[in-house]
Amino acid sequence: MVENYAILPCNGLDKCAGVISGEIAVKLCESGKNTIICPVFSKIADAKYRKITDEHPLLVIDGCATRCASKIAAEKNYRIFRKITVTEEAKRHHIELKDNLRLLEDDNSLVEIIVDGFSDAGGMAAGVSEESGFSFEFEYETFQKDKFIFRVPRNTSVYFNENDCWAYVIGNRARIGVTDFVQQNLSDILYFIPPEIGAIISQFDAAGEIESSKALVDIISPVSGMVVSINEMLVQKPELINENPYESGWIAELELTDFESDKELLIGFDKYFELMKKKVEG
Amino acid sequence: MNTKVKVIPCSGIGKVFGLMAREAVLKTVHELCPDKSETVCLAYIVTGDKEAKEKIEGCDCITVDGCPKMCASKNVLITGGIVKEAIKVLDTVKEHKGKQFGTPTQLDADGKEVINEIAVKIAKKINEIS
Repeated sequence: MVENYAILPCNGLDKCAGVISGEIAVKLCESGKNTIICPVFSKIADAKYRKITDEHPLLVIDGCATRCASKIAAEKNYRIFRKITVTEEAKRHHIELKDNLRLLEDDNSLVEIIVDGFSDAGGMAAGVSEESGFSFEFEYETFQKDKFIFRVPRNTSVYFNENDCWAYVIGNRARIGVTDFVQQNLSDILYFIPPEIGAIISQFDAAGEIESSKALVDIISPVSGMVVSINEMLVQKPELINENPYESGWIAELELTDFESDKELLIGFDKYFELMKKKVEG
Repeated sequence: MNTKVKVIPCSGIGKVFGLMAREAVLKTVHELCPDKSETVCLAYIVTGDKEAKEKIEGCDCITVDGCPKMCASKNVLITGGIVKEAIKVLDTVKEHKGKQFGTPTQLDADGKEVINEIAVKIAKKINEIS
């Protein structure tokens, strides 16, 4: 269970997602040594909460896309360690939120799923990438050309650039990697040169390199942000990128700095799948 | 023009009296006075949401606060709402000494009794001013 976190939920008065965000915050406090930051009181109790946010990693729980909690955190210059949005989590877990303000069975299930999801996140404060809450249960669409199979994850949180790299975005974090198109073209990947942890990367900057007997290619980051962790397994086993570039072969995790703007230059599953097919047929 | 009285509770996250403030307001606007009142989320107000500001600016408001910090009352005033009544949950709680009200997520029977009382007080005020 996450412990020693500062948790800033949305106020959550008039929407089901908001009520859920408050419920998650309270449950995380009941089950671990976490501290809730009242989104409203934080406006005037700067000294009290500044100490808490300086000393503890901050988890922001937004209810809906209005993202009041995030706005408050930004206004206060709190450094967000992790962020989730209830409506996005609901979508990810195929739970439909309705207008009710009393939590129903499905809503409570979502609370449970999210709270349980944090049970493995104790190492996040130390930057342990495997525990940062990204779950890979992608459904794939496949396209075959001769003996080569090209898969693309069908997930609304996964974005692509035209350089055949992907970003899986949750809250203010993203995992990035290359697509099947890259790994099939490179064939057996022999070396992985990771980006530096702490490096600030702009969208379309190189975020590391991968090399096979055929070529050396830059990994073109679909998003801008700071590298907070890398997939260290790849240093020893770069072939994981060949095995599955979307799951065990992910490259790095970034704390996003301008995703809303980055998004304008990215494409979703539908467009990328068509683009990749054209390239394969090319 | 929307003339409904705006009833605004404090955030009240993580505190039983805060939960009571929220519950009392929801009971009032959804059950007791649905035609004469509505609520506005305080976080919208403090984050400067235009729509929330327009809703309360120059309008009759009743605030319900769970603790003496009076976040709801202060923020509604700052945003230009006319606070006709600033209700403190603690004032009603004091009349129920020794009772257990519940937890920050779940109210007990005594807690529900108190929110009913507060809701009635809010409704009375709504009827007076509308």
